[in-house]
Amino acid sequence: MPEKTALHDLIGIEHHKLNFFQELQKNIKELKEINRESEDQRCEIAAILDGITDVMMVLSEDMKIISVNRVFEQLFPGINPIGKKCYTLFRDSEHPCPECPAFKSLSTNTVCKNTAIFRIEGKNQQFDMVASPLKTPGTEEDRILIFKRDVTMEKEYQAKFYQAEKMATIGVLAAGVAHEINNPMAAVAGFAEGIQRRLTRLDKDIPAELAEDLYDYTNTILKECLRCQDIVKTLLSFSRPVASEFIPVDLNQVAEDTLRLLDHQFRRYQQVKLEVKLTSPMQSILGNEAQLKQVILNLLTNAVDAIEHNGKISIETFIEDEHVGVRVSDSGCGIPEENRDMLFEPFFTTKQVGKGIGIGLSTCFNIVREHNGEIIVDSEVGKGSSFTVLFPLQRD
Amino acid sequence: MQVTKFAIPEVIFGNGSITYLASCAQRLGAKRVLLVSDKGLEESGWVRIIINLLKAANLDCVYFDGLTSNPRACQIQQGAKLYRDHNADVIIGLGGGSPIDAAKGIATIVSNGGEIHDYEGANRISRPLPPMILIPTTAGSGSDVSQYAIITDKKRKVKMAIISRSLVPNISIIDPDLLVTKPRELILASAVDALAHAIESYVSRLASPFTESQALTAIRLIAGNIKPAANSKDHEALKNLSIASTAAGMSFSNAGLGVGHSLAHSLGGRYDVTHGLTLPILLPNVVRFNKPCAERKMETIARTINESCPAPAKQKKHDLSEILQSMFEELGIPMRLREIVPDNDQMEEICRLAVKDACSVTNPREADCDDLLKICGESW
Repeated sequence: MPEKTALHDLIGIEHHKLNFFQELQKNIKELKEINRESEDQRCEIAAILDGITDVMMVLSEDMKIISVNRVFEQLFPGINPIGKKCYTLFRDSEHPCPECPAFKSLSTNTVCKNTAIFRIEGKNQQFDMVASPLKTPGTEEDRILIFKRDVTMEKEYQAKFYQAEKMATIGVLAAGVAHEINNPMAAVAGFAEGIQRRLTRLDKDIPAELAEDLYDYTNTILKECLRCQDIVKTLLSFSRPVASEFIPVDLNQVAEDTLRLLDHQFRRYQQVKLEVKLTSPMQSILGNEAQLKQVILNLLTNAVDAIEHNGKISIETFIEDEHVGVRVSDSGCGIPEENRDMLFEPFFTTKQVGKGIGIGLSTCFNIVREHNGEIIVDSEVGKGSSFTVLFPLQRD
Repeated sequence: MQVTKFAIPEVIFGNGSITYLASCAQRLGAKRVLLVSDKGLEESGWVRIIINLLKAANLDCVYFDGLTSNPRACQIQQGAKLYRDHNADVIIGLGGGSPIDAAKGIATIVSNGGEIHDYEGANRISRPLPPMILIPTTAGSGSDVSQYAIITDKKRKVKMAIISRSLVPNISIIDPDLLVTKPRELILASAVDALAHAIESYVSRLASPFTESQALTAIRLIAGNIKPAANSKDHEALKNLSIASTAAGMSFSNAGLGVGHSLAHSLGGRYDVTHGLTLPILLPNVVRFNKPCAERKMETIARTINESCPAPAKQKKHDLSEILQSMFEELGIPMRLREIVPDNDQMEEICRLAVKDACSVTNPREADCDDLLKICGESW
């Protein structure tokens, strides 16, 4: 029982029918406070998201882009991606990419990874993709969070590392081999010259026909020796440490040198028809001779493998618009559609074991990119392929 | 001069005013209504009519029917649970004092939590109540316009008075048409209750010009209409009784009552007797006890009753207690306490509780336990 009620309690001057206004005001104040807090949280999360350097997308089940982060906007400037399909933006295609990790992630409800090369703004860029399912409680709709990290650089360094290792090995081998070959060659050449000197003295003692033959032979021996020395020299040029500076390089010269290296290969296979069209006069480009040789060597090696010792290989240099280019074409097996995107992936190869390890094209890709150039692939299965490398024209 | 206050809800009055119920509820933001009423009103069909009115306006309605007369604390808790379970928003109380006070109690628990006895006394409600619409059907309790709720505490066997301005509803809809279905005893009991409200609040220590005029209006109307209303259910008389009941409610809500109601509360808490039966027995003796402190006012009341009662002049009495006595006897109302309560051996306890009742505070004459025992003795 409460304390005794007094008269003023019954009058209740200071009491009135409580209404919800004050309560409402209090609630509004609290709500504002909470709203401010969640806004702060939102900003913080947005800042964190914007701090992520990977491309980030949230996709719906049908690959529609729901939201993206700032990096995405940098990648596709001036495009409003919301509502567009992911594959139309990245691949310019009408159908989802078969290797897409998003589907796998959705179906298995796990985090899935994949690597792919996308051609964006005319440049090939390699991305590591991580797809993780976003299950929102209370909604039927599943969404996928996709991170795409531009790993072009990493892959390049990786390839470069292998390449450097390989080159170092080749360099050591080549230097050794060069000496080992040069010495007997010098001896062979020396003795061939000796024979020729003896021949002049023996002029009267032997029949003219025989002398003719011996001259011919010794000349051939000398010429071949010189060619061997040239080849050795070319080998040595490969093993030279990479020059840090670009110097003017004549693409025709590079093509010729490289062809000389492969001379014996083409000779061995009589059915291989080699067609060489070098434009002259040629504009020089700024570049690294050894690296450019490697590009053409790789392309030619692939062409030889593609035609399997029977068919046509052509190499041409040209100048068009703002570019100096070299094109290596073959009449070989061609590249199936599904492999096109994987072409420049390091360690992707369709060759048999022992034939290649799959870093040729990725090395090419990186070297060409360093020269501010690009590689364009054109291929039809069963008809052949052509790889065109374009370098920017040097204006004097 | 005492500073006073006069607070009343929105009052919608008139025959057929019940049809405005749904629009009133919607104005208060109703989507799901909790309707509190009782068996008698179910039987007379009013509950059904109210539910249909709300349904027609696309309002959800949940009906709480767990009430007896003199609503108990546990019933209040059940009602509050029902309100919460159904996510109700507006409370509609339909009936006499019991359902209306129960609606008030439910509203209090719903928004303030705890137990109903936590709020016993004056001004103990600290949080706003859900919107309330009260529809009186008895022309008696005046609870639909008052700041009082009377709830029975079964454990202590007392009636608790909960007093708070927050118990004044948002809207009171008074439709005399609802009185037509009442039985004669109920018409009498509630009219006497209203008359007691009017008389006690008129002589109360907190009476102000605003309450006095309401009280006198109520007295005049009851005196003039109680007979035709009870004996022939005359529509006009019933309407006047409902005006009187509301006016008396406005008066006592702001001016308070007296020891008559204190005793009625403690008797009702102890014996569960109908409130309207104890008052006519006690009132003449209470008036007699208070007379020395409110002589002028008693005369005014007597004059008012005499003027509105169509009785021959030589039969006119001038003492208010006598006037009341003969008026009640004429109506055949039981006039002895022994006729309605089983025994008188707990009278002292009853009177001790009554002294503490909030209604005693405004009694014009200070009354202690012995004074009240004397009144009860005279009434036995």
